[in-house]
Amino acid sequence: MANNNLMIGLEIGTSKICVVVGESRPDGTLKILGVGQAPSRGVRKGEIVDFETAMKCLHEAVVDAEQKSDVMIKSVYVAIAGSHLHSFNNRGCVMLPEDRDEIDEQDVEDVKINAREVSIPAQNAFLHSVIQHYQVDGQQGILNPVGMLGQKLEADFHIIHGVRTRIQNTIRCVKELPLDVEDVVFSGLASAQVVLTQQEKDLGALVIDMGGGTTDYVLYSEGAVRQSGCLAVGGDHITNDISMGLRLPMARAEKLKTEEGSCILGNCLPGEMILLKDDSGFAGKEIERETLNTIIHLRLREAFELLKRRLEEEPYLGYLGAGIFITGGCSLLGGIDHLAAEIFEIPANLTHAQTAWGITSAVENPQFSTAIGLVKFAQVMHTDRPARGFGRIFGKLFSGKR
Amino acid sequence: MIQLNKNYSLQERLADFIPIKIVSVGGAGLNALDRIVLDGLERADVVAINTDVQSLTSSVATRKVQLGRSVSRGLGAGGDPEVGYQAALESADEIREALADSRVIFICAGLGGGTGSGAAPYIAEAARESGALVIAFVTLPFGFEGKRRNAQAREALARLSEFAHAVVCFENDRMGDLTPPQAGIHQAFAIADMTISQSVRSIVNVIQRPGLIRIGFDDILAALRNRNSRCLFGYGEADSDNRSHDALTQALKNPLMDRGRMLADATHVLVQVAGGPQMTLSEIEILMQELGRHVSDQTHILFGAVVDGRLGDRLSVTIISSLSSEEEAGLLQTPPAPTSASVPAPVREPYHAPEPELEIQTEQPAIEPTPVEETIPFEEPVAAEAVPVAIPLSIEVPVVPSHNGEPERTIVKPHDTSISPKEEKASPEKTTAPPKQEVLQFEPVTRGRFEKSEPTIVEGEDLDVPTYLRKHIKVK
Repeated sequence: MANNNLMIGLEIGTSKICVVVGESRPDGTLKILGVGQAPSRGVRKGEIVDFETAMKCLHEAVVDAEQKSDVMIKSVYVAIAGSHLHSFNNRGCVMLPEDRDEIDEQDVEDVKINAREVSIPAQNAFLHSVIQHYQVDGQQGILNPVGMLGQKLEADFHIIHGVRTRIQNTIRCVKELPLDVEDVVFSGLASAQVVLTQQEKDLGALVIDMGGGTTDYVLYSEGAVRQSGCLAVGGDHITNDISMGLRLPMARAEKLKTEEGSCILGNCLPGEMILLKDDSGFAGKEIERETLNTIIHLRLREAFELLKRRLEEEPYLGYLGAGIFITGGCSLLGGIDHLAAEIFEIPANLTHAQTAWGITSAVENPQFSTAIGLVKFAQVMHTDRPARGFGRIFGKLFSGKR
Repeated sequence: MIQLNKNYSLQERLADFIPIKIVSVGGAGLNALDRIVLDGLERADVVAINTDVQSLTSSVATRKVQLGRSVSRGLGAGGDPEVGYQAALESADEIREALADSRVIFICAGLGGGTGSGAAPYIAEAARESGALVIAFVTLPFGFEGKRRNAQAREALARLSEFAHAVVCFENDRMGDLTPPQAGIHQAFAIADMTISQSVRSIVNVIQRPGLIRIGFDDILAALRNRNSRCLFGYGEADSDNRSHDALTQALKNPLMDRGRMLADATHVLVQVAGGPQMTLSEIEILMQELGRHVSDQTHILFGAVVDGRLGDRLSVTIISSLSSEEEAGLLQTPPAPTSASVPAPVREPYHAPEPELEIQTEQPAIEPTPVEETIPFEEPVAAEAVPVAIPLSIEVPVVPSHNGEPERTIVKPHDTSISPKEEKASPEKTTAPPKQEVLQFEPVTRGRFEKSEPTIVEGEDLDVPTYLRKHIKVK
């Protein structure tokens, strides 16, 4: 790529594969140049189950993106999802040598390594270590300790890890295309980059990205990631429930869900029916609206309740000043914000990529939050740490493979 | 066809605890016993037996027996099994007294030293004479402890297995798999103790826990029946979201299991799943399906399930089995286990003692309470009959994970002159009110398009199944 301000995000989702081409402008904003997408096959719950098919779809999406943005795609940032991802908070600590009391970059690097010295399952690899804040000699809330004087440097990190081989599978699929993988990013974290503004992160916000196969969540408090994770329940499950409950084929159930679905109960006329038109012109089946909504409602309610129980393991849920932000394909379902607000007892908003501009239709579509977020993530990476190799984790991922 | 025992109640069950004793012999045994007691064990008496007074006094066991007051004069046996044996002979009466009145005796010993190698076989003999079921848990020394010690251990193991109904043998060298490489020697020994402790406790729990689907003595013996065999044993516990999978993985990780590969050749596998009241049917189903991949189609799975409130969110799996030795493997038409060959099998003397003095017999419908007289004389070699009876069972019965549909079985007790009234009471109850019940067939759960994908199990529920189905909400 001639222009190294170009960044490409690739999300291999359960329902669609999308490739977003973005450009980092000199003024620091992010412009979306083009979006390519293709319906996804061979992916379940955010993970590839059929390698060959997924690769074909991936190829389609990349070609589509190249045509639309008129850019040659060589390397991409890839989103990772799946129920194998876990996270926790850990504190690293480094004591400076006696003869020196100025904290330098190496110490900051050491404290990060120190924070990672925790036991994760042997087959797992670290995906992210997100800094929350530093402490120097007990002084809290330090954002950048380099240059400060102190003897003891501590740092709280939010660490996300997942099964190494499952992460590698996604990378491998992209590499076979062949495209270079610049980095892998947890998809929830990517979405949060564009869905939230810095102010919202500081106030405290919960991002729920409910996609086709998974529901990713990231909780920010005081500007730092506190909790994150991935629940392998998504829009696919709703479609499956409808398909089984109303005895419809999957494709028809999907259509019914997107066109008519809502998760608000008691909001329709008693006995209100939806007439399913048959493609061949014959009169189709009639479906009671309340039944459809009940199925969707129950599934979403359960998913939110599960999330709430998970998040309640730590105290941050009570301190969300900015509220809940719902994005992803499922956020298009009617009433989902009301349901989330009711269950979490926190105001909930529907949202989409905020901190990017360009192709309006793409930016305003919550389905693209993750992919646009990847581009944003890449932009942050480029500007924040231009030279330092953040591909280190990534290199480790590959060393196992070769 | 399905009969439910209406009188079934937990309180009634708790009454018929089986008297169990855990006997430790020698220094290593004592360490293991202390670990067992410290880890918490209910419903079993512990007896510490040693020649060394010093270690006896520091033991936490409630009952202690000092061996050979005049032979070793309160010191250890000095690594000489002969001294250990003489010491045991001298204190024979005390041993018998300590072992009396129990139906299951576990013997823990570290073989290779003086007391463990010398006295343990004698104690096993005494225990067996008292009419109890004898299960020995022994450790074999580390390779670096020298050839002499290893030879003593092998010899003692051979003698011990003459008397014990089953010997669960832990090779300390194999414990290396469990120990992180940088762990100290203390930790290595502690891990060996912990493994024994875990094994004993889980077998005690298997026997004592009043199960929904109960595992009896007979089941345990069936699992351990093969003589001259290696016991396989695994125990796992987990409280994660995917706890059934995690617990099973952990159980198969036990060094005796070799990640489940050993199970492929086992003829009987005993599995007990225990969990808190939140344990769900689908968890058990998933667990048993997963286990099913590790065993062959011919394997007879003895399944037990227990709900124990004290477990809370945890779910535990106990797997017990044994690999038959070469000749029995031939008899039972299982291919000789290649894995068992790689493990140095202890050299044993030709075995002449009678086969386990219990027979598994199919019960006729509406049978009268099995009289105690219907016993097999202790000395009669019933091996030839006992084995063929078991074979049709294991072949006829298809291996369904949740399967428990085999005919009722009873234990015929060993001929024993001093059957306590308690035992008499227990045995008719066992036959007339069998604690086993038929298992309902699992409903075919539909997962639609997720049928072939990895299940999403969160908090014990399979989230791939539509919510309204799981919550039993009618949508139409």
